Amino acid sequence: MKKIYKFLFLIALLITSPTLLLAQSKTQVLIRNATVLTAVRGTLENTDILIENGKIAKIGKNLKAASNAKIIDAAGKFVSPGIIDCHSHTMSDAVNEFSFSVTSMARIRDVLNPTDISIYRALAGGVTTANLLHGSANAIGGQNSTVKFKYGKPVEDFLVADAPPGIKFALGENVKRTNFNPTPGAVARYPRTRMGTMEVIRDAFVRAKDYKKSWDDFRAKKAMIQPRRDLELEPLVEVLEGKRLVHAHGYRSDEHLNLLLIADEFGFKIATLQHGLEAYKIAPEIAKRGTGVSIFSDYWSYKLEAYDSIPYNAVILWKAGVNVSINSDSDERMRRLNLDAAKVVKTGVPEEDALKMITLNPAKQLGIDKRTGSIEVGKDADIVIWTAHPFSVYARPEMTMIEGEIYFDRQQDLAKRAELQRERETLEKLEVNRPPGAGATGTTAPPIPKEKRQADHDYAEDGGNR
Amino acid sequence: MKNLILRFGIAIFAFIAFGWSIEAQTRTETLAITNARIVTVSGAAIERGTVVVRDGLIEAVGANLKVPTDARIIDGTGLTVYPGLIDANTNLGLPATITPPRGQGQPTTQIAPTTSNSNYPDGLQPEEMAIERLKAGEAQFETVRSAGFTTALIVSREGIFNGQSAIINLAGDSVSEMAIRPAFAEHFTFTTLRTGQYPTSLMGTFSAFRQMLLDAQRLQILRQTYDKNPRGMRRPEADKSLEALLPVLNRAMPIVFNANTEIEIIRAVDLAKEFNLSAIISGGQEAWKVADRLKANNIPVLLSLNFPKRTATASPDADAESLTLLRLRAETPKTAGKLANAGVKFAFQSGGMTSIGDFLTNANKATENGLTKDAAVRAMTLSAAEIFGLDNRLGTIEAGKIANLTVSRGDIFSKDKTITHVVIDGKLFEQKEKPKTPTPATGGATQQPATANVGGNYAITIEIPGQATAATLNLIQQGETLTGTIAGQFGTAPLKNGKITAEGFNFSATVEFGGQTIDLDVSGRVTGNQISGTITTPQGAIPFSGAKTP
Repeated sequence: MKKIYKFLFLIALLITSPTLLLAQSKTQVLIRNATVLTAVRGTLENTDILIENGKIAKIGKNLKAASNAKIIDAAGKFVSPGIIDCHSHTMSDAVNEFSFSVTSMARIRDVLNPTDISIYRALAGGVTTANLLHGSANAIGGQNSTVKFKYGKPVEDFLVADAPPGIKFALGENVKRTNFNPTPGAVARYPRTRMGTMEVIRDAFVRAKDYKKSWDDFRAKKAMIQPRRDLELEPLVEVLEGKRLVHAHGYRSDEHLNLLLIADEFGFKIATLQHGLEAYKIAPEIAKRGTGVSIFSDYWSYKLEAYDSIPYNAVILWKAGVNVSINSDSDERMRRLNLDAAKVVKTGVPEEDALKMITLNPAKQLGIDKRTGSIEVGKDADIVIWTAHPFSVYARPEMTMIEGEIYFDRQQDLAKRAELQRERETLEKLEVNRPPGAGATGTTAPPIPKEKRQADHDYAEDGGNR
Repeated sequence: MKNLILRFGIAIFAFIAFGWSIEAQTRTETLAITNARIVTVSGAAIERGTVVVRDGLIEAVGANLKVPTDARIIDGTGLTVYPGLIDANTNLGLPATITPPRGQGQPTTQIAPTTSNSNYPDGLQPEEMAIERLKAGEAQFETVRSAGFTTALIVSREGIFNGQSAIINLAGDSVSEMAIRPAFAEHFTFTTLRTGQYPTSLMGTFSAFRQMLLDAQRLQILRQTYDKNPRGMRRPEADKSLEALLPVLNRAMPIVFNANTEIEIIRAVDLAKEFNLSAIISGGQEAWKVADRLKANNIPVLLSLNFPKRTATASPDADAESLTLLRLRAETPKTAGKLANAGVKFAFQSGGMTSIGDFLTNANKATENGLTKDAAVRAMTLSAAEIFGLDNRLGTIEAGKIANLTVSRGDIFSKDKTITHVVIDGKLFEQKEKPKTPTPATGGATQQPATANVGGNYAITIEIPGQATAATLNLIQQGETLTGTIAGQFGTAPLKNGKITAEGFNFSATVEFGGQTIDLDVSGRVTGNQISGTITTPQGAIPFSGAKTP
C-alpha cells in the first residue's frame, strides 16, 4: 500500500515538475574534432567529446549523438579542462574579519555575490571553479567556499555541494600586523610576532579539544547540561576530525614548517600551503605529509617576507612529489592563469603537469577531483574550448562550459554588445538617468562608477592581502 | 442607552478616582466630514458620503448618514477622504546618536559594558526600543502630517540590530498616547560595527547574529531547566540582549531585515529560514527579482519609495555610468507593480527620503509603472496595518476603527492635490491652503524652475581686505539641497545646511583659520559661469566672486 502511494507521488511529481522531466531526458552536447588536452592521459588529436546531462559520457573518434544534441565543431581548436583557481577572493562582499586573531566563525558563504562581473571575466579566461578564501588578517580565519562560476544562476547553484569544507589559516606579516599602522586609540591586536601567531593557533586547538570533549561527555551522558554551541570552535573540531581542509597562507619556510609541526602535534593535516614562496626549501617535509602547495608561478618581492622565492619553486616541489597548483589571488590575474601555468614549462615541468597545476591538482587540493579537473569519462563537463594551445599567448577561450552548460561564448558576447549599447542609449534618455538640471539631452558626463564594493577588501588592490 | 449609562458611570468614576487624568486626556470633538468622496479601502469608494468621528474613533461612515447634532461639520464637497496614510518605516522623532568614527576610542577586543546587563556592544543590542527614544510632543511631526501621514513605524537606523520598532500615531501629547504598538518588530541591518569591534565585516555580522540566536536558544532551555529545579545548577545569566531575542526566536515578534539588493534579500530569506523566524523585508528595491522566494516564504515587504535618482552632475572626463545603475533607476518604480502581480504583500515606506513630498509623488510613479491606484492606496493604508497585525483597528474607514483620516483636495496621486485635513485619533489638523503660485505670463510653455542650477566646481576669490585669498567651491545640487565642499588655505570643509532657492544658494561651513575655528555663512548666486556672493563671519561680511572651472 505504502509503495503505491510512493509510486503515485512520483508520478504526480513527474507530471507537475517540468524541470524534473527535463532532467530525466538526456540533453546531449557533442564537441567534434578537437585537440583535447585531457590533463591526465595526454593530448588526443581529432577527438570528439560527448556530454550527457552535464557529464562527460564518451571520449573518442566519430562519436554519434542524438538528433537533438547540440553539436560544436571544434576543428582546429584546443579543449582543456576548466581552470581551477585555488586561491581567490572574487564574488565576495567581504574578505577579512579583522577583529579577532581567530575568526573561524566567519563564513565566505554568507557574503557570496553572484552578480560580481569578475565572475564573467574569469569565465572568459577559462576559469570554471574557484576556492574562495577568507583573507589573511587572522591566524585562523574564516571558512571558505568552493564554487563553480555559474554566472547568472542563483547563489546556491554556485556551491560545489560535495566539496569538503575548508578554512583559512594565515602566518606572517598580515597576522602580526606590525607592518600596519595601528588605528589611533585602539589597542593593538595580539599576536604581534610570528611566535605569538603559533601560540594563537595552538591555543585555539587546545580550546577546540576541550570543546569536543564537553560535547563527547554530553553525548555519553556524562554531563547533564548541553554545552553551548560555539561557532568559533565547531569548525576547528572538524579540522581535528579531518573533515575540514586547512588552507594556510604563509611566505617563510620556517613558519610553514612550524605550522606543519603544530598540525602533527594535534594530529590533523594541512591541505594546502598557500603562496608558499619558500616552499622549495622544505619540499621533502611537505611531500612527506601529503600537503599540497598553491603558489604564484613567478610573482614575489612585493614585501619583505615575500623576497626569497625563485622561478624554480614549482618544479622543485613537483620533483619532490608535492601536489602543486598555481593560483591567482586576484580577479585580474585569474583571467590569465593559463599563461601563469605556461611559464613553469620553461623551468622543466612537463607540459601536461603544468596544465595539471591549474586543473587536476587544485581539484585534488580542494577534494573535488572525483568530479572535475580533467577530461575523463564520468566527470563533470567543465570544459574550455580555446583558439590555440592554452599555453600560447595567442590563445583565448572561445567557449567555457560548466557541467555541459555554456557560461561564456565569445561569439555570443560579441553579438550582444550592440544590443547592450542600444539598451544603454535608451536608458540614458530616461529622466531618472539624467543629471539634475541637465535638461533634455543630459550634456555632462556621469560620475566614475564604483565597480565593486571595496570596503572590506583589505587593501587587496595593492597586495596587502597577499 | 445602556452603553451611555455605562460610559457616563465610567467617566464619573474616572473623575473621582483619577481626577488628574481628565485633563490630560482631552476629549476630542465630534467631527462629521460631509459630502466627500470616501475611499474606504475596506470596500468600494463612496462617491458622496459622510464620515463621523467621535471619541477618537470612526463612529459611522456611509452615503446617507444623519449628521449628529453635536458634530462639527466639515464640508467635504470636492474633497476625498482616505484612511490615514501610514509610513511603514521611518526614523522620525528619534534623535540621532553620533557614532564614533571607525577605530576611535574603542579597543579592538570585545569588552563587555560594565554598566548594563547586556554583554553586547552598542549596535548588537536588540533590546533597544524606539519607543523609549521617542520624544513626546506632536509639533515635531507637523511636516509629515501636512504631507498626509497619520501613522508610522518608527525605528532607529543605527547598529546591526536597530532595535525594536514602534507603531505610533503622529499626534498626541505623550509617548504613551501616541503608541499604537510600542514593540512591533526587531530590525536588523546587514552592516558592521564602526568601532573596530567584532564584527568588522559582513561575514562577522552573520556569525555574530547566528551565535546570539544560538545563545538565546540555549538561555531559554537553561531557564526552563533551572526553573524546574535550580539545585545543583549554575543560574543562567540575565542578559537582556539575549532575552530580547526570545520573542523573535519564538516567532512572537517578526524580524525586519533592511535589504534592498537581490542578494541581500536572498541572504535575509535564508537567515530567516535557518532559524525559522517570521521575516519582513524593508527597502526591497530589487524585491521584484526574488518575488517568487518572498511569495513562497510568505515574507512581506516594507517597500521604499525613495527611488534612486541621478543626483550629481559629474566631472566631464568621468567614465559612463554602469548599465546596472542605469537599469536600477529605471526598474525601481516598477517594483511595486511586479510585487502586486506576484502576490507578495507590501506596504510603502519613506526609506529615508529627504523630502516627504516624494512619498506620494513616487507612489504615483509606481501607479504609472504597473500598480493600480487602489493597490497603491492599500499599500499606504490597509496593507501596512495588516503587516503590523493592526488591521482590526487601522487602515480602513470603517465604524469602530481608530479615527485616522487623510483628506485631500484632488486625487491623492495628482500633482496639484492639497492635503486639506488630517485626523489622528479623532483630533483634527487643518492645513492652510497653499497660496497659488502665479503662472508665468509667457504662455506657460517653459515653467519657471523652482531652484536655480548651481552644481559644479568654482574657483573663487574671497576679498578679505588687503589679503584676497583663493578658494574652490564644489557644489553638488540635489533638488533643493546643496552639498559639497569649500576648500582653501583654511583646509577643506563640507557644506552644511545647504539650500538652493530660485534666486541662488546658501550654506554654512566650519573652517580652521589662523588657529581658530570659524563658522561661515555663505550666500550667493550663479549667473552663467559666474558666481558671486557674501561670506558672513563673526568678524564681518566678506564678498567673493569667481567662475566655474571646466
